[in-house]
Amino acid sequence: MTTGTGSGAGTPALELTGVEMHYGFVRALDDIDFRVHPGEVVGLLGDNGAGKSTLLKVMSGAHRPSGGTLRVHGEEKVFHAPSDAAGAGIQMVYQDLALVDAQDISTNLNLGREILRRGPLGWLGFVDHRAMRKRSEAELDRLGVRTAPMTRPVEMLSGGQRQVVALARSAIRVSGASNGILLLDEPTAALGYEQTKQVEALIRQMADNGIAIVLVTHNLPLCYQVADRVVVLNRGRKVADVAMSDTEPDHVVGWITGARPSQFHAASA
Amino acid sequence: MTSPATSSASTAGATATRAGGPGAAPPAAGHEMPRAVTALVFLRDRGIFILWGLLLVAFSLWCSPYFATPDNAVLIANAAALTAVFAAGVGIGIMTGVLDLSLPGTAAIASCVCGWLLTHGYPTAVGLLAGLACGVAVGLFNGLVSLRGLNPIIVTIGTLSMLTGLAAVIAGGYTFPGLSQLTFMGTQRYLGVPAPVYLVAVVFVVGTVFLTRTREGIRLMAVGGNAEAVRRSGIHSPRYQVLGFVVSGILAAIGGLVATAVTTEANPQASPAIIFNALTAVALAGVALTGGRGSLPRVLVGALILATISNGLTIRGIQPYWATVWTGVLLVGALLLERAVQTAVSERLVATANLSVHTKKV
Repeated sequence: MTTGTGSGAGTPALELTGVEMHYGFVRALDDIDFRVHPGEVVGLLGDNGAGKSTLLKVMSGAHRPSGGTLRVHGEEKVFHAPSDAAGAGIQMVYQDLALVDAQDISTNLNLGREILRRGPLGWLGFVDHRAMRKRSEAELDRLGVRTAPMTRPVEMLSGGQRQVVALARSAIRVSGASNGILLLDEPTAALGYEQTKQVEALIRQMADNGIAIVLVTHNLPLCYQVADRVVVLNRGRKVADVAMSDTEPDHVVGWITGARPSQFHAASA
Repeated sequence: MTSPATSSASTAGATATRAGGPGAAPPAAGHEMPRAVTALVFLRDRGIFILWGLLLVAFSLWCSPYFATPDNAVLIANAAALTAVFAAGVGIGIMTGVLDLSLPGTAAIASCVCGWLLTHGYPTAVGLLAGLACGVAVGLFNGLVSLRGLNPIIVTIGTLSMLTGLAAVIAGGYTFPGLSQLTFMGTQRYLGVPAPVYLVAVVFVVGTVFLTRTREGIRLMAVGGNAEAVRRSGIHSPRYQVLGFVVSGILAAIGGLVATAVTTEANPQASPAIIFNALTAVALAGVALTGGRGSLPRVLVGALILATISNGLTIRGIQPYWATVWTGVLLVGALLLERAVQTAVSERLVATANLSVHTKKV
């Protein structure tokens, strides 16, 4: 493969080396190397049971790997809980979105990082709704997104708009001093054509803003739309790691199903 | 960035996508709510105020000239006061995701603890504070037990039983009569308005401001709507689930103390009617039992509607049973209307669902 492994300019945002995951005798993950650079979108593909979800859980801190190391911006980390991963700038966007339907967009985006009013009212815990709306608007502008007025309850949004709000919330949370890492689990699973296009555009925009994105999906066209590189898992092993521009759908499908031999393990399968 | 070839290709793709999406649809259309939806949402959120207004007009005409007088307004407000306080407790509980059935028990124990202290010569303030402390303690107990994954409804039924029994033990099977120290918050009038009305006003203003303007209140509502979302925002959500029980317990204690003050007697009998009246007011107010939505002003109007109906029918000399019947009719009618509005809103929203979310030109 040529490259697609990123700019040489430096350390990957997230790098896994030799990660193993055993459940009893079952090897869910076998010696996985994986990295994603800032500004890069990496598609993580594989059939059901290939180990995608397990790998994602290792990255998001939900599971501790049986072996191997995990580095964030070059620094070795051990996650004991999802909150550790969040602290290191890794956010997972689940399929169920986890939005508070009855509350408006601003409240959803600001939950857990509310702006309090200045002065005595702030000491009593009064929030500054206007300041929070302004900040959220600015943050969404930076992502090139305008969903709906900030005061619109989430339950009044379309599926695509909700997905955009959920993605934006995570993107905002990881956009700190050093750009963070987003793990997306089937972000377009429940969406129609037009809405899928909107979400694709947002994913690209987030990557252009310097966020590293890992995209778990069954959706090959989605990968071709947004991903720079694709990693294919098969029965717990990494069988391919190629730039999207260097590969064609037939090959990727071959790796997913196991019909095409692994790039790394000669004569396995 | 990625390799030049890859990144330019994907950027080009994304740009094409953006140009194709918003260009096709009128740019601002996604941001304007269709007028029909705005009207329906207004009806859903403000309908109860309209209903109350209609009732007031109807009774003013029907019961003229006795209904529409300042004195009668005070009567209605005073009659609604107790229900309103308990409805606030039930309502905040439901909005934050718990149905607290122990309210009558909490009211009874607060009332009896206060009654015991006052008859044994303790100062009034001590009695009242002890009563409120009972509410906090019950709330903490309910909350901490429910957090262990038990169903809050069953837990609070258990608590109700314990509290009713304990209250009877404290009172030794009797009541604490003659608590005249409490008349200042019972039958006493200030500027012609009875004390409980002021108290209700304070409870609802403070409660509304708390739920809509403070960080803790907003998180409390969010936990009721989707505890998982709050947890994933890095907030320790169980704390807020317990807080919901505590607020509900405090309001129940306030209700018990006001009831004691009005009758100048602390009664260990926990009346289940309390919770059903409160629930009726809450349901009329359109507070969804699934939690996360609802507003206290509407709950207040719900309690006022119950009192208005009962008052108007009494003026006309109609048997009070009819008030109960009409309350039930209104409640079922309100539910049907809400469902119809909700369906209509959803249908209209689906029609606009595909409008673009991207406007910024890149």
